[in-house]
Amino acid sequence: MSPTRTLTPYPLRPAAAAPEPAESRRVLLTTGSSDAHTWNLVYLQLLLEENGHSVLNLGPCVPEQLLVDTAQLTRPDLVVFSSVNGHGHLDGLRAARALRAERSTSDIPLVIGGLLGISPDGAEQRTAELLAAGFDQVHSDGTKPDVLLSYLAQLPATCTERAAA
Amino acid sequence: MTRSPASPPDLGSYVRAAAGAGELVVQPRMGMAVPSEMAAGLTAVAGLAERTVGTITLDSYTRVGDHSAAVAAVRAGKPLNGFPLVGHGPRITAKVAAAAGRHTPVQVRHGSADPRAIFRTMAAAGLGTSEGGPVSYCLPYGRTPLAESVAAWREATRFLAEESRANGIRAHLESFGGCLLGQLCPPSLLVAMSVLECLFFAQNGMTSVSLSYAQQTSPQQDVEALAALRLLAEELLPPTVDRHVVLYTYMGVFPRSVAGAGLLLKRSADLAVRGGAERLIVKTETEAHRIPTVAENLTALRAAAAQARRTRRELADAPREGSGEAGEVLLEARALITAVLSLSDDVGTALLRAFHRGVLDIPYCLHPDNRGAARGTIGDDGRLRWSEVGAMPLLATVGRSGAMTSNRLSLMLRRVAEQHDREASRQAPEPVAAPVAPEPLRIGLIGGGPRGLSILERLVARCAERPPARPVEVTAVDPYCIGAGRIWRPEQSPWFLMNTPAREVTMFSGPSDGGPARPGAGPTLAEWWAVADPENADPEGYAPRVVYGRYLRFVLGLVLDARVPGLTIRPVKARALTTDRGPAGDGTGEPVHRVRLDRGDVITVDRLVLASGHPTNELDEQQREWLNFAEMHPPLRYVVGDSAAEMPLDAVPPGATVGVLGMGLTFYDVVAALTLGRGGRFLPAEGGGLRYLPSGREPRIVPASRSGIPLLTRGRNQKTAEFRYRARLFTPERMAAMRASGPLDFQSQVLPWLLAEMNIVLLGTRLRHAVGPDAEREFGEAAAAVHREEPPSPAALAVLAEGFGPAGEPLDALWRLARPFAGRRFASPAEYRQELADWLREDLADAVLGNYEGPVKAASDVLRDVRATIRSVVDFGGLTPDSHRRFLADFNPVAAVISTGPPAQRSEQFLALLAAGVLEPVGPAARFRADRDLGCFTVESGQVEDSRVRLDALVDARVPSTDLRSDRDPLIRGLLADGVIRTFVNSWAGGAFDTGGLATTDTPFHPVRADGGIERTMFVLGIPSEHTRWFTQVGSGRPGPWGAFTRDADAIAEALLAEAAPRPRSATAEPAGMLAGRAAR
Ligand code: B12
Repeated sequence: MSPTRTLTPYPLRPAAAAPEPAESRRVLLTTGSSDAHTWNLVYLQLLLEENGHSVLNLGPCVPEQLLVDTAQLTRPDLVVFSSVNGHGHLDGLRAARALRAERSTSDIPLVIGGLLGISPDGAEQRTAELLAAGFDQVHSDGTKPDVLLSYLAQLPATCTERAAA
Repeated sequence: MTRSPASPPDLGSYVRAAAGAGELVVQPRMGMAVPSEMAAGLTAVAGLAERTVGTITLDSYTRVGDHSAAVAAVRAGKPLNGFPLVGHGPRITAKVAAAAGRHTPVQVRHGSADPRAIFRTMAAAGLGTSEGGPVSYCLPYGRTPLAESVAAWREATRFLAEESRANGIRAHLESFGGCLLGQLCPPSLLVAMSVLECLFFAQNGMTSVSLSYAQQTSPQQDVEALAALRLLAEELLPPTVDRHVVLYTYMGVFPRSVAGAGLLLKRSADLAVRGGAERLIVKTETEAHRIPTVAENLTALRAAAAQARRTRRELADAPREGSGEAGEVLLEARALITAVLSLSDDVGTALLRAFHRGVLDIPYCLHPDNRGAARGTIGDDGRLRWSEVGAMPLLATVGRSGAMTSNRLSLMLRRVAEQHDREASRQAPEPVAAPVAPEPLRIGLIGGGPRGLSILERLVARCAERPPARPVEVTAVDPYCIGAGRIWRPEQSPWFLMNTPAREVTMFSGPSDGGPARPGAGPTLAEWWAVADPENADPEGYAPRVVYGRYLRFVLGLVLDARVPGLTIRPVKARALTTDRGPAGDGTGEPVHRVRLDRGDVITVDRLVLASGHPTNELDEQQREWLNFAEMHPPLRYVVGDSAAEMPLDAVPPGATVGVLGMGLTFYDVVAALTLGRGGRFLPAEGGGLRYLPSGREPRIVPASRSGIPLLTRGRNQKTAEFRYRARLFTPERMAAMRASGPLDFQSQVLPWLLAEMNIVLLGTRLRHAVGPDAEREFGEAAAAVHREEPPSPAALAVLAEGFGPAGEPLDALWRLARPFAGRRFASPAEYRQELADWLREDLADAVLGNYEGPVKAASDVLRDVRATIRSVVDFGGLTPDSHRRFLADFNPVAAVISTGPPAQRSEQFLALLAAGVLEPVGPAARFRADRDLGCFTVESGQVEDSRVRLDALVDARVPSTDLRSDRDPLIRGLLADGVIRTFVNSWAGGAFDTGGLATTDTPFHPVRADGGIERTMFVLGIPSEHTRWFTQVGSGRPGPWGAFTRDADAIAEALLAEAAPRPRSATAEPAGMLAGRAAR
């Protein structure tokens, strides 16, 4: 790969020049298995890196198995599931169930947001289903991604230790 | 061939027939999971009166081949984002497609890197029309390896072509290559990808294809791209393959408001017609939020078709506006296609290799088979450009631009959306009722800088006094910042200063009168600054340019808020690209001007005012050579731009040796940006003056100029706003009398009087100090009385002055002030710099004495005080051609050094930087060279031994002068080519001098046409008319009695409002001779 590449989807790398915040977290960024949109992922990666976190961006159309395998391997502090194609609730349910079914990934904090359905109808029910399936936070459509920063800031320190273990 | 009866009509033929009838085919993006809903949608679309194509868009599970998930979701009643075609199977699909009826084609749109199952189901359902491509449905859509996608598409394409043929239908594939990630991909790659994928389709048996292109950020560039697409398709596709061009309404982040989305949609329909696309796929007003309903789709289809018809009519009225030139987009696209096709005879293989090598590289695409080194960015002019090209065979067209941040990315992604939301909310709903008589006079003002603003200010002030007889509507157009224009726009370095004291600057044509500030009566810059920013203001000093920009915006605000009856002013942030004449307008009975804007629309006006300000010129031969040289020798840099704000000075690394060509006002800006702008500070030095505290990030600055000195320091101002100088010898009356006898020779006939005038002040001021004010007055009177016929020599004046007291030496020639080192030789750079410092210290001392009390600065100030008289001699052909040439080449720069200099603060900073070793001037008669042997630039003074310096960067800090012939502004170029304007050629007695400036009449400054007629429907103010007139680079009015700045603006406002009074009209073009003096000949 070319050395000038700045948006690397695969390697988990420390934030480049950003000032080291009190706690630098390792974030696994993913989307639904059917979701092709990537600008949301590119944007979220930049935002998180600028704030001192390191990001592993899985790119578009992430099958559940790939997500679970990567989470097992890298032990991230947080999994962010971003989806905008309207299948977020369906894909999200499958992803959460898969992650929670595996003992080693069952306790990794997991949040979801973007545009989760194809219409505003039924948003409450979707949220309830997603929470029940194992998401720690479900952000309704239109929520600014900045909420991720405060969420990361208040994550218990044990996460990082666990990641290092 | 037996055409199966159930199949919808052939897409290619349908589009061709529509194009033949002059109609744009419109098509929705539409897909519902439930068959009955999908069918109802198709019926509704087919039922429209427009020429439509029905769409079945597939859901995301089907796209990725997860048909079981799709079926499960449908069974469970969960909503999907499209029609699960494979899951529903061929029987249901055929029934659904039939709902479009027998006359409307149906296309299946998906987004799958492996379309084999989809095409199989389609073929079985009697459908043969689809979309996609081995690249465009792979890299932007998922993680399937490109090699797999190419293989799958090869097979699927052949299958669909053959199977359809067997079914008696002609298959059709549209390439999605014109979209890719929807945003931030420069058009050349979109065009190339569309063409390449269609070549791939043709190679695999398709006989009917369409080439796509998605609307991007600049209408002009989009027209170019569509032209390139058509051209390349003609060139490269086998002639037997049926083809047409399909445009996609903007595919990136969409406007959120209904009005904004509608506006963008209409622009896309307009673009489709102008760019010669035959089919348009629309977006709806809910695009930014949700998947649209059928009704929303129908609304969008109708609106697009209606706009297409409107545009088509407009084009019929003005056949000259063709579909544009392909230009830069064509060059780049051709380079890409050629490079790819050279990799293999098989297009699929060639595409694979191209991505592997980075010959093709989609910006911001995360797919692992994409190299990811390329970046697109949006230029100030709205065009999408390459900021990084990776390994593609292209040149990056914009400089590298720092790291991408989430913020910058977000701004770029949202740019089109926000622009349209904003515009739509500003465009009040157009009045539906027929306008009431009388017809308004419509005025287009091109240029929203101080000159344009000064006209607006006078228009409002005049209308407030006396409402116009007819309504007047002004549209003010500027691509940068209306009110401030480019030079004073608020986004620039805070270190750039004005060079007129804040107290001497106003944009109001009258002083504050106790009432509210309004056009005609308002605060000076100093007064406003003191109130607007009390903490930072320095009303006695020189304001940063950004502060003046804010002041101008404040004035504009008042102009817009004035709401005087009968006058409407509409600011439009856009670049005017071309103008032409339309049919006679109702307003005046004369052909209207139609001004096309870069955002795509056209404004129609009765009168056009050109106040476009500082030119951006083509580089000259030397500059181009330097630029090429620097590009061939990285990291060497050649930085050129017509003002420091336009220069990428951040690119000059700390510690580099940077040469600066020119030591004028731009030089000071450059120095400020490289020192203060990099964190350096100036502190008071012991024993007076300043001391420089470096930040360590500044480069070594090596400036050089002809004279080897910077501009002379401006004398401390001791004159009130009301002060008006009364000349003794260089009087307006004397000059008028001289001019009446025919063109003058400035050097022999005019300059001696001017020099005498300066000497009267020089010697008189000394007399005032030595003897008293009476002595000064008596000396002046005596000089005026004695020397009536011939200008006195400096020596003669000195003798006369001796009679009144000790008056010292006179100034024997003007250039002495500006060229102190003429003929000198220096043994070393150190010696030169020492003398330079001494000289500048002396100059500073003169400046401190002031422009009234200090003899030298008082004399220099004469040049400013009598500027209007100089203009009365020079403007509109007052000099002989030869003298005019020498006036511009010799007098003009000398006068600039003496009378346009910076405040004392800047000269003190110069000295401090000199002492700190940051500034190392080279010497007089300096020559810059591109040294091929050393591979770098060098500079050397012809008068200083051992002065040669090697440079890592060269900054060109000369201000380009007006020359229409090399002006890059498309509007000016077009007007010149059309003969509506022409350059002022000073010709007399067999001699001729083409000044390059725009030829105009005297007040109210109509342009002179190429045929010698006067263009009475147009007006020109300011810098474009430089050389026809002298010293138009004045960006502000002065408080007190009106100067030329305000008078000229008022003259145009008056002439415009006179037009608003209905009156009988005669022919427009008359010989210009009488009015324009010699300017027209
Ligand atoms: C560009 C685009 C595309 C491109 C994508 C290219 C790419 N590789 O990314 C292309 C053309 C390929 C495309 C395809 C499709 N698209 Co699309 N696309 C868009 C579009 C126009 C812009 C999206 C974008 O780039 N936004 C910029 C990014 C930075 O913003 P964002 O995605 O909105 O993300 C922000 C927030 O959502 C939030 N956020 C995101 N994730 C998270 C996570 C958390 C935890 C939090 C707190 C916040 C958060 O923060 C982000 C930054 O502010 C939108 C409509 C629009 N917005 O105008 C439709 C849209 C998203 N697409 C849509 C659809 C349906 C599709 C398709 C299925 C086609 C179809 N049936 O019409 C296919 C998808 C195929 C697939 N397998 O998924 C729909 C989704 C509908 C829905 N959710 O109800 C939209 C809304 C259009 C529409 N009205 O129909 N699309």
